[in-house]
Amino acid sequence: MSGLVKAELRKLFTTRLWWIMLLVMLLLAALRLGFLIAFAGVEQNGAALPARDSAQWAETAWSAGAAGGIFAMILGVVLVTSEYRYQTITGTFLATPRRNRVIVAKLVTGLLVGALFSLAVLVFQAVTVIPAVTLSGGEFSLSASRIPQISLGILMTLALYAVFGIGLGALVRNQIAGIIGAIVWAYVIENIFIGIPALQSVGKWLPGGAAQALLSIDLDVAGLGAPEWLPAWAGALVLIGYGLLFAAVATATTVRRDIT
Amino acid sequence: MAAIEIRNLMKSFGPVKAVDGVSFSVEAGSVTGYLGPNGAGKTTTLRCLLGLVTPDSGEALVNGERYVTLSRPTSEVGAVLEATSFHPGRTARNHLRILCTAAGLPDARADEALEQVGLADAAGKRVGGFSLGMRQRLALASALLGRPRVYIFDEPANGLDPAGIEWLRGFLRHLAHDQGAAVLVSSHVLAEVEQTVDDVVIIAKGRLVRQGSLAELTSDGADVVRVRAAETADLAPALEAAGGVVEQAGDGLLRVRGLDTEAVGRIALDRRIVLTEVAQERSGLHKVFLDLTEGR
Repeated sequence: MSGLVKAELRKLFTTRLWWIMLLVMLLLAALRLGFLIAFAGVEQNGAALPARDSAQWAETAWSAGAAGGIFAMILGVVLVTSEYRYQTITGTFLATPRRNRVIVAKLVTGLLVGALFSLAVLVFQAVTVIPAVTLSGGEFSLSASRIPQISLGILMTLALYAVFGIGLGALVRNQIAGIIGAIVWAYVIENIFIGIPALQSVGKWLPGGAAQALLSIDLDVAGLGAPEWLPAWAGALVLIGYGLLFAAVATATTVRRDIT
Repeated sequence: MAAIEIRNLMKSFGPVKAVDGVSFSVEAGSVTGYLGPNGAGKTTTLRCLLGLVTPDSGEALVNGERYVTLSRPTSEVGAVLEATSFHPGRTARNHLRILCTAAGLPDARADEALEQVGLADAAGKRVGGFSLGMRQRLALASALLGRPRVYIFDEPANGLDPAGIEWLRGFLRHLAHDQGAAVLVSSHVLAEVEQTVDDVVIIAKGRLVRQGSLAELTSDGADVVRVRAAETADLAPALEAAGGVVEQAGDGLLRVRGLDTEAVGRIALDRRIVLTEVAQERSGLHKVFLDLTEGR
Protein backbone atom coordinates (compact mmCIF):
# COMPACT_ATOMS: atom_id res chain seq x y z
CA MET A 1 0.00 0.00 0.00
CA SER A 2 2.78 2.47 0.85
CA GLY A 3 4.22 1.81 -2.61
CA LEU A 4 0.94 2.85 -4.15
CA VAL A 5 0.79 6.04 -2.11
CA LYS A 6 4.37 6.78 -3.12
CA ALA A 7 3.42 6.20 -6.76
CA GLU A 8 0.50 8.64 -6.41
CA LEU A 9 2.71 11.26 -4.77
CA ARG A 10 5.19 10.84 -7.61
CA LYS A 11 2.42 11.30 -10.16
CA LEU A 12 1.60 14.63 -8.56
CA PHE A 13 5.13 15.89 -8.01
CA THR A 14 6.43 14.93 -11.47
CA THR A 15 3.97 17.32 -13.10
CA ARG A 16 3.72 21.05 -12.69
CA LEU A 17 0.21 21.61 -11.40
CA TRP A 18 0.98 21.20 -7.70
CA TRP A 19 3.30 24.16 -7.38
CA ILE A 20 1.07 26.37 -9.52
CA MET A 21 -1.81 25.56 -7.13
CA LEU A 22 0.45 26.15 -4.13
CA LEU A 23 1.58 29.50 -5.50
CA VAL A 24 -1.95 30.68 -6.30
CA MET A 25 -3.15 29.55 -2.88
CA LEU A 26 -0.39 31.52 -1.13
CA LEU A 27 -1.04 34.56 -3.34
CA LEU A 28 -4.70 34.46 -2.42
CA ALA A 29 -3.82 34.14 1.27
CA ALA A 30 -1.45 37.12 0.85
CA LEU A 31 -4.27 39.12 -0.69
CA ARG A 32 -6.65 38.34 2.18
CA LEU A 33 -4.03 39.07 4.78
CA GLY A 34 -3.12 42.32 3.03
CA PHE A 35 -6.77 43.32 3.14
CA LEU A 36 -7.07 42.38 6.82
CA ILE A 37 -3.90 44.29 7.70
CA ALA A 38 -4.95 47.37 5.73
CA PHE A 39 -8.51 47.54 7.03
CA ALA A 40 -7.90 46.50 10.63
CA GLY A 41 -9.91 48.71 12.95
CA VAL A 42 -11.62 50.54 10.06
CA GLU A 43 -15.37 50.87 10.37
CA GLN A 44 -17.51 49.99 7.35
CA ASN A 45 -21.31 49.75 7.12
CA GLY A 46 -21.54 49.99 10.85
CA ALA A 47 -19.34 46.94 11.35
CA ALA A 48 -15.63 47.04 12.00
CA LEU A 49 -12.69 44.73 11.78
CA PRO A 50 -10.96 44.47 15.14
CA ALA A 51 -7.73 46.39 15.61
CA ARG A 52 -4.44 44.76 14.66
CA ASP A 53 -3.17 44.50 18.21
CA SER A 54 -6.22 42.53 19.38
CA ALA A 55 -6.35 38.78 19.82
CA GLN A 56 -9.55 38.75 17.79
CA TRP A 57 -7.79 40.27 14.78
CA ALA A 58 -5.00 37.69 15.05
CA GLU A 59 -7.57 34.90 15.05
CA THR A 60 -9.41 36.34 12.07
CA ALA A 61 -6.19 36.80 10.13
CA TRP A 62 -5.01 33.33 11.12
CA SER A 63 -8.11 31.78 9.58
CA ALA A 64 -7.34 33.22 6.14
CA GLY A 65 -5.68 29.98 5.04
CA ALA A 66 -8.93 28.04 5.23
CA ALA A 67 -9.83 29.57 1.85
CA GLY A 68 -7.13 27.33 0.38
CA GLY A 69 -9.56 24.42 0.55
CA ILE A 70 -10.55 25.02 -3.06
CA PHE A 71 -6.95 24.48 -4.25
CA ALA A 72 -6.67 21.23 -2.35
CA MET A 73 -10.00 20.23 -3.89
CA ILE A 74 -8.80 21.06 -7.42
CA LEU A 75 -5.66 18.99 -6.83
CA GLY A 76 -7.88 16.14 -5.67
CA VAL A 77 -10.00 16.48 -8.82
CA VAL A 78 -6.89 16.44 -11.00
CA LEU A 79 -5.41 13.47 -9.15
CA VAL A 80 -8.23 11.41 -10.66
CA THR A 81 -9.29 13.21 -13.83
CA SER A 82 -5.80 13.61 -15.32
CA GLU A 83 -5.60 9.81 -15.36
CA TYR A 84 -8.71 9.69 -17.52
CA ARG A 85 -7.72 12.72 -19.58
CA TYR A 86 -4.35 11.25 -20.55
CA GLN A 87 -5.54 7.63 -20.33
CA THR A 88 -2.84 6.80 -17.82
CA ILE A 89 -5.65 5.12 -15.88
CA THR A 90 -5.08 2.07 -18.11
CA GLY A 91 -1.47 1.74 -16.97
CA THR A 92 -2.47 2.44 -13.38
CA PHE A 93 -5.04 -0.36 -13.35
CA LEU A 94 -2.70 -2.72 -15.20
CA ALA A 95 -0.12 -2.24 -12.45
CA THR A 96 -2.79 -2.44 -9.72
CA PRO A 97 -5.82 -4.34 -11.01
CA ARG A 98 -7.50 -4.22 -7.59
CA ARG A 99 -8.91 -0.80 -8.15
CA ASN A 100 -10.11 -0.09 -4.63
CA ARG A 101 -6.43 -0.10 -3.62
CA VAL A 102 -5.73 2.62 -6.17
CA ILE A 103 -8.60 4.68 -4.78
CA VAL A 104 -7.43 4.24 -1.19
CA ALA A 105 -3.91 5.28 -2.25
CA LYS A 106 -5.31 8.37 -3.95
CA LEU A 107 -7.37 9.27 -0.88
CA VAL A 108 -4.36 8.92 1.41
CA THR A 109 -2.33 11.00 -1.06
CA GLY A 110 -5.07 13.65 -1.06
CA LEU A 111 -5.00 13.82 2.75
CA LEU A 112 -1.20 14.10 2.75
CA VAL A 113 -1.06 16.79 0.07
CA GLY A 114 -3.88 18.74 1.71
CA ALA A 115 -1.95 18.59 4.98
CA LEU A 116 1.25 19.74 3.23
CA PHE A 117 -0.59 22.66 1.66
CA SER A 118 -2.04 23.63 5.04
CA LEU A 119 1.44 23.56 6.57
CA ALA A 120 2.66 25.85 3.78
CA VAL A 121 -0.11 28.35 4.36
CA LEU A 122 0.33 28.19 8.15
CA VAL A 123 4.03 28.98 7.80
CA PHE A 124 3.12 31.83 5.48
CA GLN A 125 0.61 33.15 8.03
CA ALA A 126 3.16 32.89 10.81
CA VAL A 127 5.63 35.10 8.97
CA THR A 128 2.98 37.72 8.14
CA VAL A 129 0.49 37.76 11.02
CA ILE A 130 2.94 37.56 13.92
CA PRO A 131 4.97 40.60 12.74
CA ALA A 132 1.75 42.47 11.94
CA VAL A 133 0.50 41.95 15.50
CA THR A 134 3.76 42.64 17.29
CA LEU A 135 4.64 45.67 15.16
CA SER A 136 1.25 47.14 16.09
CA GLY A 137 2.15 46.80 19.74
CA GLY A 138 0.02 43.72 20.34
CA GLU A 139 1.13 40.46 21.80
CA PHE A 140 0.88 37.27 19.77
CA SER A 141 0.25 34.33 22.04
CA LEU A 142 -0.38 30.78 20.94
CA SER A 143 -1.68 29.62 24.29
CA ALA A 144 -4.06 32.45 25.13
CA SER A 145 -5.85 32.51 21.77
CA ARG A 146 -7.63 30.01 19.56
CA ILE A 147 -4.71 29.91 17.10
CA PRO A 148 -3.99 26.17 17.65
CA GLN A 149 -7.63 25.25 17.09
CA ILE A 150 -7.82 27.37 13.95
CA SER A 151 -4.59 25.79 12.69
CA LEU A 152 -6.06 22.36 13.20
CA GLY A 153 -9.21 23.50 11.45
CA ILE A 154 -7.22 24.63 8.42
CA LEU A 155 -5.32 21.34 8.37
CA MET A 156 -8.52 19.30 8.46
CA THR A 157 -10.27 21.53 5.93
CA LEU A 158 -7.51 21.37 3.33
CA ALA A 159 -6.90 17.64 3.80
CA LEU A 160 -10.59 16.77 3.53
CA TYR A 161 -11.25 19.13 0.62
CA ALA A 162 -8.62 17.18 -1.32
CA VAL A 163 -10.68 14.06 -0.55
CA PHE A 164 -13.85 15.82 -1.76
CA GLY A 165 -12.01 16.63 -4.98
CA ILE A 166 -11.04 12.99 -5.48
CA GLY A 167 -14.66 11.92 -5.06
CA LEU A 168 -15.87 14.61 -7.45
CA GLY A 169 -13.16 13.73 -9.98
CA ALA A 170 -14.05 10.04 -9.90
CA LEU A 171 -17.70 10.94 -10.37
CA VAL A 172 -17.36 13.26 -13.38
CA ARG A 173 -14.01 12.01 -14.82
CA ASN A 174 -13.87 15.05 -17.13
CA GLN A 175 -11.11 17.36 -15.90
CA ILE A 176 -12.62 20.68 -16.94
CA ALA A 177 -16.07 19.71 -15.62
CA GLY A 178 -14.51 18.59 -12.34
CA ILE A 179 -12.51 21.78 -11.81
CA ILE A 180 -15.41 24.04 -12.78
CA GLY A 181 -17.70 21.99 -10.54
CA ALA A 182 -15.33 22.42 -7.61
CA ILE A 183 -15.02 26.18 -8.14
CA VAL A 184 -18.77 26.69 -8.59
CA TRP A 185 -19.44 24.62 -5.50
CA ALA A 186 -16.90 26.35 -3.28
CA TYR A 187 -17.28 29.91 -4.49
CA VAL A 188 -20.91 30.17 -5.56
CA ILE A 189 -23.16 27.56 -3.96
CA GLU A 190 -21.50 27.42 -0.55
CA ASN A 191 -21.10 31.20 -0.42
CA ILE A 192 -24.81 31.63 -1.09
CA PHE A 193 -25.75 29.23 1.68
CA ILE A 194 -23.14 30.55 4.09
CA GLY A 195 -23.42 34.24 3.25
CA ILE A 196 -27.20 34.68 3.25
CA PRO A 197 -28.46 34.54 6.85
CA ALA A 198 -31.80 32.98 5.91
CA LEU A 199 -30.01 30.04 4.29
CA GLN A 200 -27.43 29.55 7.01
CA SER A 201 -29.53 26.91 8.77
CA VAL A 202 -28.77 24.77 5.71
CA GLY A 203 -25.36 26.27 5.03
CA LYS A 204 -23.92 25.28 8.39
CA TRP A 205 -24.40 21.63 7.43
CA LEU A 206 -22.54 22.00 4.12
CA PRO A 207 -18.79 21.31 3.96
CA GLY A 208 -18.00 25.02 3.86
CA GLY A 209 -20.20 25.67 6.89
CA ALA A 210 -18.63 22.78 8.75
CA ALA A 211 -15.19 24.15 7.93
CA GLN A 212 -16.27 27.53 9.33
CA ALA A 213 -17.41 25.78 12.50
CA LEU A 214 -13.88 24.43 12.93
CA LEU A 215 -12.49 27.94 12.80
CA SER A 216 -15.21 29.30 15.12
CA ILE A 217 -14.73 32.82 13.84
CA ASP A 218 -18.13 34.29 14.58
CA LEU A 219 -17.20 37.73 13.42
CA ASP A 220 -19.86 39.92 11.88
CA VAL A 221 -17.73 41.26 9.05
CA ALA A 222 -20.52 41.81 6.55
CA GLY A 223 -22.77 43.51 9.05
CA LEU A 224 -25.51 40.92 8.52
CA GLY A 225 -25.34 39.48 12.01
CA ALA A 226 -22.85 36.91 13.25
CA PRO A 227 -23.65 33.49 11.75
CA GLU A 228 -24.36 30.57 14.04
CA TRP A 229 -22.11 27.68 13.13
CA LEU A 230 -22.17 24.19 14.53
CA PRO A 231 -19.93 23.55 17.55
CA ALA A 232 -16.37 22.87 16.40
CA TRP A 233 -16.53 19.16 17.24
CA ALA A 234 -19.77 18.76 15.27
CA GLY A 235 -18.23 20.64 12.37
CA ALA A 236 -15.31 18.22 12.41
CA LEU A 237 -17.67 15.23 12.39
CA VAL A 238 -19.71 16.69 9.52
CA LEU A 239 -16.56 17.37 7.52
CA ILE A 240 -15.25 13.84 8.11
CA GLY A 241 -18.69 12.52 7.19
CA TYR A 242 -18.49 14.31 3.84
CA GLY A 243 -14.96 12.92 3.42
CA LEU A 244 -16.27 9.37 3.88
CA LEU A 245 -19.16 10.07 1.54
CA PHE A 246 -16.85 11.33 -1.22
CA ALA A 247 -14.47 8.42 -0.63
CA ALA A 248 -17.40 6.04 -1.04
CA VAL A 249 -18.45 7.85 -4.23
CA ALA A 250 -14.90 7.57 -5.59
CA THR A 251 -14.79 3.84 -4.89
CA ALA A 252 -18.29 3.04 -6.13
CA THR A 253 -17.80 4.88 -9.42
CA THR A 254 -14.40 3.38 -10.13
CA VAL A 255 -14.29 -0.23 -9.05
CA ARG A 256 -16.46 -1.85 -11.70
CA ARG A 257 -16.50 0.67 -14.51
CA ASP A 258 -15.25 -0.56 -17.89
CA ILE A 259 -12.09 1.22 -19.00
CA THR A 260 -12.38 1.36 -22.79
CA MET B 1 -1.64 -24.78 -19.07
CA ALA B 2 -1.70 -22.18 -21.82
CA ALA B 3 -0.18 -18.78 -21.05
CA ILE B 4 -3.31 -17.08 -22.33
CA GLU B 5 -6.65 -18.83 -22.42
CA ILE B 6 -9.85 -17.27 -23.67
CA ARG B 7 -13.02 -19.34 -23.41
CA ASN B 8 -16.33 -18.36 -24.96
CA LEU B 9 -15.85 -14.71 -24.14
CA MET B 10 -18.86 -12.43 -24.56
CA LYS B 11 -19.11 -8.67 -24.11
CA SER B 12 -21.80 -6.29 -25.28
CA PHE B 13 -21.82 -2.52 -25.10
CA GLY B 14 -25.51 -1.69 -25.18
CA PRO B 15 -26.97 -3.37 -28.27
CA VAL B 16 -23.55 -3.93 -29.84
CA LYS B 17 -22.03 -7.36 -29.38
CA ALA B 18 -18.37 -6.36 -29.31
CA VAL B 19 -17.10 -9.87 -28.55
CA ASP B 20 -19.42 -12.74 -29.32
CA GLY B 21 -18.18 -16.09 -28.12
CA VAL B 22 -14.45 -15.94 -28.83
CA SER B 23 -12.17 -18.80 -27.70
CA PHE B 24 -8.46 -19.27 -28.32
CA SER B 25 -5.24 -19.82 -26.45
CA VAL B 26 -1.62 -18.70 -26.71
CA GLU B 27 1.29 -20.95 -25.75
CA ALA B 28 4.63 -19.92 -24.31
CA GLY B 29 7.37 -19.48 -26.89
CA SER B 30 5.09 -18.39 -29.69
CA VAL B 31 3.77 -15.20 -31.24
CA THR B 32 0.06 -15.21 -31.98
CA GLY B 33 -1.38 -12.60 -34.30
CA TYR B 34 -4.86 -11.46 -33.34
CA LEU B 35 -6.19 -10.08 -36.58
CA GLY B 36 -9.33 -8.40 -37.74
CA PRO B 37 -10.59 -5.20 -39.29
CA ASN B 38 -11.04 -2.10 -37.13
CA GLY B 39 -13.99 -2.55 -34.79
CA ALA B 40 -13.84 -6.35 -34.93
CA GLY B 41 -13.59 -6.67 -31.16
CA LYS B 42 -9.84 -7.14 -30.78
CA THR B 43 -9.29 -4.37 -28.28
CA THR B 44 -12.33 -5.38 -26.22
CA THR B 45 -11.01 -8.95 -26.04
CA LEU B 46 -7.63 -7.75 -24.82
CA ARG B 47 -9.18 -5.37 -22.31
CA CYS B 48 -11.31 -8.21 -20.92
CA LEU B 49 -8.15 -10.28 -20.65
CA LEU B 50 -6.46 -7.49 -18.67
CA GLY B 51 -9.31 -6.86 -16.26
CA LEU B 52 -10.07 -3.39 -17.63
CA VAL B 53 -13.42 -4.47 -19.03
CA THR B 54 -15.69 -6.97 -17.27
CA PRO B 55 -16.95 -9.63 -19.70
CA ASP B 56 -20.66 -10.51 -19.71
CA SER B 57 -19.77 -14.19 -19.72
CA GLY B 58 -16.92 -16.52 -20.51
CA GLU B 59 -13.39 -16.52 -19.18
CA ALA B 60 -10.14 -14.79 -20.00
CA LEU B 61 -7.18 -16.20 -18.08
CA VAL B 62 -3.48 -15.43 -17.89
CA ASN B 63 -1.32 -18.24 -16.51
CA GLY B 64 -4.56 -19.92 -15.46
CA GLU B 65 -5.78 -16.96 -13.41
CA ARG B 66 -7.94 -13.92 -13.95
CA TYR B 67 -5.73 -10.86 -14.36
CA VAL B 68 -7.31 -9.05 -11.41
CA THR B 69 -6.36 -11.85 -9.04
CA LEU B 70 -2.70 -11.98 -10.05
CA SER B 71 -0.57 -11.00 -7.08
CA ARG B 72 2.23 -9.40 -9.13
CA PRO B 73 0.61 -8.59 -12.47
CA THR B 74 3.46 -6.44 -13.81
CA SER B 75 5.87 -9.35 -13.34
CA GLU B 76 3.57 -11.82 -15.08
CA VAL B 77 2.08 -9.83 -17.94
CA GLY B 78 3.42 -6.94 -19.98
CA ALA B 79 0.73 -5.10 -21.88
CA VAL B 80 0.64 -2.21 -24.30
CA LEU B 81 -2.78 -0.84 -25.13
CA GLU B 82 -2.61 2.72 -26.41
CA ALA B 83 0.10 4.90 -27.82
CA THR B 84 -1.21 8.01 -26.15
CA SER B 85 -1.47 6.96 -22.52
CA PHE B 86 1.11 9.32 -21.04
CA HIS B 87 0.98 12.60 -19.22
CA PRO B 88 2.66 14.99 -21.67
CA GLY B 89 4.35 16.97 -18.91
CA ARG B 90 6.09 13.97 -17.39
CA THR B 91 9.46 12.65 -18.50
CA ALA B 92 9.81 9.14 -19.91
CA ARG B 93 11.90 8.05 -16.94
CA ASN B 94 9.41 9.43 -14.40
CA HIS B 95 6.53 7.76 -16.22
CA LEU B 96 8.22 4.38 -15.89
CA ARG B 97 9.40 5.01 -12.33
CA ILE B 98 5.82 5.67 -11.24
CA LEU B 99 4.83 2.28 -12.67
CA CYS B 100 7.83 0.67 -10.95
CA THR B 101 6.81 2.18 -7.61
CA ALA B 102 3.23 0.97 -7.96
CA ALA B 103 4.42 -2.52 -8.94
CA GLY B 104 7.05 -2.72 -6.21
CA LEU B 105 9.95 -2.84 -8.68
CA PRO B 106 13.24 -0.99 -8.22
CA ASP B 107 13.58 2.38 -10.00
CA ALA B 108 16.58 1.07 -11.91
CA ARG B 109 14.24 -1.01 -14.07
CA ALA B 110 13.00 2.20 -15.70
CA ASP B 111 16.37 3.04 -17.26
CA GLU B 112 17.04 -0.59 -18.16
CA ALA B 113 13.74 -0.83 -20.02
CA LEU B 114 14.38 2.48 -21.82
CA GLU B 115 17.77 1.13 -22.87
CA GLN B 116 16.11 -2.01 -24.21
CA VAL B 117 13.74 -0.11 -26.49
CA GLY B 118 16.39 2.37 -27.62
CA LEU B 119 15.05 5.38 -25.74
CA ALA B 120 17.90 5.84 -23.25
CA ASP B 121 18.81 9.24 -24.75
CA ALA B 122 15.27 10.56 -24.32
CA ALA B 123 14.83 9.36 -20.72
CA GLY B 124 14.84 12.85 -19.23
CA LYS B 125 12.63 14.46 -21.88
CA ARG B 126 8.96 15.25 -21.45
CA VAL B 127 6.71 12.80 -23.28
CA GLY B 128 4.76 15.71 -24.80
CA GLY B 129 7.61 16.22 -27.26
CA PHE B 130 7.80 12.58 -28.33
CA SER B 131 6.92 11.35 -31.81
CA LEU B 132 4.32 8.62 -32.16
CA GLY B 133 7.08 6.09 -32.72
CA MET B 134 8.86 7.14 -29.53
CA ARG B 135 5.60 6.85 -27.61
CA GLN B 136 5.15 3.31 -28.90
CA ARG B 137 8.65 2.45 -27.75
CA LEU B 138 7.97 3.97 -24.35
CA ALA B 139 4.77 1.95 -24.10
CA LEU B 140 6.77 -1.18 -24.94
CA ALA B 141 9.28 -0.23 -22.25
CA SER B 142 6.47 -0.08 -19.69
CA ALA B 143 5.53 -3.65 -20.61
CA LEU B 144 9.11 -4.82 -20.02
CA LEU B 145 9.51 -3.41 -16.50
CA GLY B 146 8.55 -6.55 -14.59
CA ARG B 147 10.34 -8.96 -16.97
CA PRO B 148 7.08 -10.84 -17.57
CA ARG B 149 6.63 -14.11 -19.49
CA VAL B 150 3.40 -13.10 -21.19
CA TYR B 151 3.04 -10.10 -23.49
CA ILE B 152 -0.11 -8.52 -24.87
CA PHE B 153 0.25 -5.82 -27.51
CA ASP B 154 -2.66 -3.95 -29.08
CA GLU B 155 -1.74 -2.54 -32.50
CA PRO B 156 1.87 -1.90 -31.51
CA ALA B 157 2.90 -1.05 -35.06
CA ASN B 158 0.56 1.96 -35.30
CA GLY B 159 2.59 5.06 -35.97
CA LEU B 160 5.89 3.28 -36.45
CA ASP B 161 7.91 4.05 -39.57
CA PRO B 162 9.12 1.13 -41.72
CA ALA B 163 12.36 0.92 -39.76
CA GLY B 164 10.39 0.93 -36.52
CA ILE B 165 8.14 -1.87 -37.76
CA GLU B 166 11.19 -3.91 -38.71
CA TRP B 167 12.64 -3.33 -35.25
CA LEU B 168 9.32 -4.32 -33.65
CA ARG B 169 9.20 -7.58 -35.61
CA GLY B 170 12.63 -8.55 -34.41
CA PHE B 171 11.73 -7.51 -30.88
CA LEU B 172 8.57 -9.66 -30.74
CA ARG B 173 10.38 -12.67 -32.21
CA HIS B 174 13.17 -12.19 -29.69
CA LEU B 175 10.69 -12.15 -26.78
CA ALA B 176 8.94 -15.32 -27.94
CA HIS B 177 11.64 -17.40 -29.58
CA ASP B 178 14.72 -16.45 -27.54
CA GLN B 179 13.13 -15.73 -24.17
CA GLY B 180 10.30 -18.23 -24.44
CA ALA B 181 7.56 -15.72 -23.69
CA ALA B 182 3.99 -15.97 -24.93
CA VAL B 183 3.18 -13.01 -27.18
CA LEU B 184 -0.28 -11.97 -28.31
CA VAL B 185 -0.23 -9.12 -30.81
CA SER B 186 -3.27 -7.58 -32.44
CA SER B 187 -3.31 -5.81 -35.78
CA HIS B 188 -5.68 -4.76 -38.53
CA VAL B 189 -2.86 -4.89 -41.07
CA LEU B 190 -1.90 -8.44 -41.96
CA ALA B 191 1.37 -7.47 -43.61
CA GLU B 192 2.59 -5.92 -40.35
CA VAL B 193 2.56 -9.18 -38.47
CA GLU B 194 2.75 -11.78 -41.22
CA GLN B 195 6.50 -12.16 -40.97
CA THR B 196 6.42 -12.31 -37.19
CA VAL B 197 3.63 -14.53 -36.03
CA ASP B 198 3.55 -18.30 -35.58
CA ASP B 199 -0.19 -18.59 -35.09
CA VAL B 200 -3.09 -16.55 -36.31
CA VAL B 201 -6.52 -15.87 -34.86
CA ILE B 202 -8.87 -13.86 -37.08
CA ILE B 203 -12.04 -12.23 -35.82
CA ALA B 204 -14.67 -10.08 -37.45
CA LYS B 205 -17.78 -8.51 -35.93
CA GLY B 206 -16.89 -10.09 -32.59
CA ARG B 207 -16.81 -13.65 -33.91
CA LEU B 208 -13.91 -15.98 -34.54
CA VAL B 209 -13.40 -16.53 -38.27
CA ARG B 210 -10.25 -18.61 -38.54
CA GLN B 211 -7.50 -19.81 -36.32
CA GLY B 212 -4.47 -21.96 -36.82
CA SER B 213 -0.77 -21.83 -37.49
CA LEU B 214 0.43 -19.33 -40.05
CA ALA B 215 1.79 -22.20 -42.18
CA GLU B 216 -1.59 -23.92 -42.25
CA LEU B 217 -3.50 -20.82 -43.17
CA THR B 218 -1.13 -19.57 -45.85
CA SER B 219 -0.62 -22.91 -47.61
CA ASP B 220 -4.37 -23.19 -48.02
CA GLY B 221 -4.99 -21.93 -51.59
CA ALA B 222 -1.39 -21.18 -52.37
CA ASP B 223 -1.30 -23.75 -55.20
CA VAL B 224 -3.74 -21.81 -57.37
CA VAL B 225 -2.50 -19.85 -60.40
CA ARG B 226 -4.53 -16.98 -61.78
CA VAL B 227 -4.35 -16.62 -65.56
CA ARG B 228 -5.84 -14.20 -68.03
CA ALA B 229 -5.21 -14.55 -71.75
CA ALA B 230 -6.16 -12.82 -74.96
CA GLU B 231 -7.65 -16.11 -76.18
CA THR B 232 -9.09 -17.78 -73.08
CA ALA B 233 -11.14 -20.25 -75.09
CA ASP B 234 -7.93 -21.81 -76.50
CA LEU B 235 -5.97 -21.71 -73.27
CA ALA B 236 -8.36 -23.58 -70.95
CA PRO B 237 -8.36 -26.86 -72.92
CA ALA B 238 -4.59 -26.68 -73.34
CA LEU B 239 -4.11 -26.34 -69.58
CA GLU B 240 -6.49 -29.22 -68.91
CA ALA B 241 -4.63 -31.36 -71.44
CA ALA B 242 -1.45 -30.70 -69.45
CA GLY B 243 -3.07 -31.98 -66.24
CA GLY B 244 -4.38 -28.72 -64.77
CA VAL B 245 -7.75 -28.35 -63.13
CA VAL B 246 -9.25 -25.21 -64.56
CA GLU B 247 -11.99 -23.14 -63.00
CA GLN B 248 -13.61 -20.33 -64.98
CA ALA B 249 -13.69 -17.52 -62.44
CA GLY B 250 -15.58 -15.16 -64.74
CA ASP B 251 -14.45 -12.02 -66.52
CA GLY B 252 -11.92 -14.06 -68.50
CA LEU B 253 -10.06 -15.17 -65.40
CA LEU B 254 -8.96 -18.80 -65.03
CA ARG B 255 -8.02 -20.32 -61.66
CA VAL B 256 -5.74 -23.27 -62.29
CA ARG B 257 -4.70 -26.00 -59.86
CA GLY B 258 -2.04 -28.60 -60.46
CA LEU B 259 0.26 -26.38 -62.52
CA ASP B 260 2.69 -23.72 -61.41
CA THR B 261 3.14 -20.32 -63.08
CA GLU B 262 6.10 -21.53 -65.15
CA ALA B 263 4.16 -24.51 -66.53
CA VAL B 264 1.23 -22.26 -67.42
CA GLY B 265 3.59 -19.85 -69.18
CA ARG B 266 5.25 -22.62 -71.21
CA ILE B 267 1.89 -24.03 -72.32
CA ALA B 268 0.78 -20.59 -73.46
CA LEU B 269 4.09 -20.07 -75.27
CA ASP B 270 3.76 -23.44 -77.08
CA ARG B 271 0.27 -22.51 -78.24
CA ARG B 272 1.32 -18.94 -79.05
CA ILE B 273 -1.38 -17.58 -76.74
CA VAL B 274 -0.82 -14.08 -75.36
CA LEU B 275 -1.05 -13.99 -71.58
CA THR B 276 -2.25 -10.75 -70.04
CA GLU B 277 -1.90 -11.88 -66.45
CA VAL B 278 -0.33 -14.81 -64.69
CA ALA B 279 0.15 -14.89 -60.94
CA GLN B 280 0.18 -17.10 -57.92
CA GLU B 281 -3.18 -16.79 -56.14
CA ARG B 282 -2.96 -14.77 -52.94
CA SER B 283 -2.68 -17.06 -49.98
CA GLY B 284 -5.75 -18.26 -48.15
CA LEU B 285 -4.92 -16.06 -45.22
CA HIS B 286 -4.72 -12.99 -47.37
CA LYS B 287 -7.96 -13.91 -49.04
CA VAL B 288 -9.84 -14.50 -45.81
CA PHE B 289 -8.50 -11.30 -44.39
CA LEU B 290 -9.22 -9.26 -47.49
CA ASP B 291 -12.76 -10.59 -47.78
CA LEU B 292 -13.36 -9.54 -44.21
CA THR B 293 -11.95 -6.08 -44.57
CA GLU B 294 -13.49 -5.41 -47.96
CA GLY B 295 -16.88 -6.72 -46.88
CA ARG B 296 -17.22 -3.84 -44.47
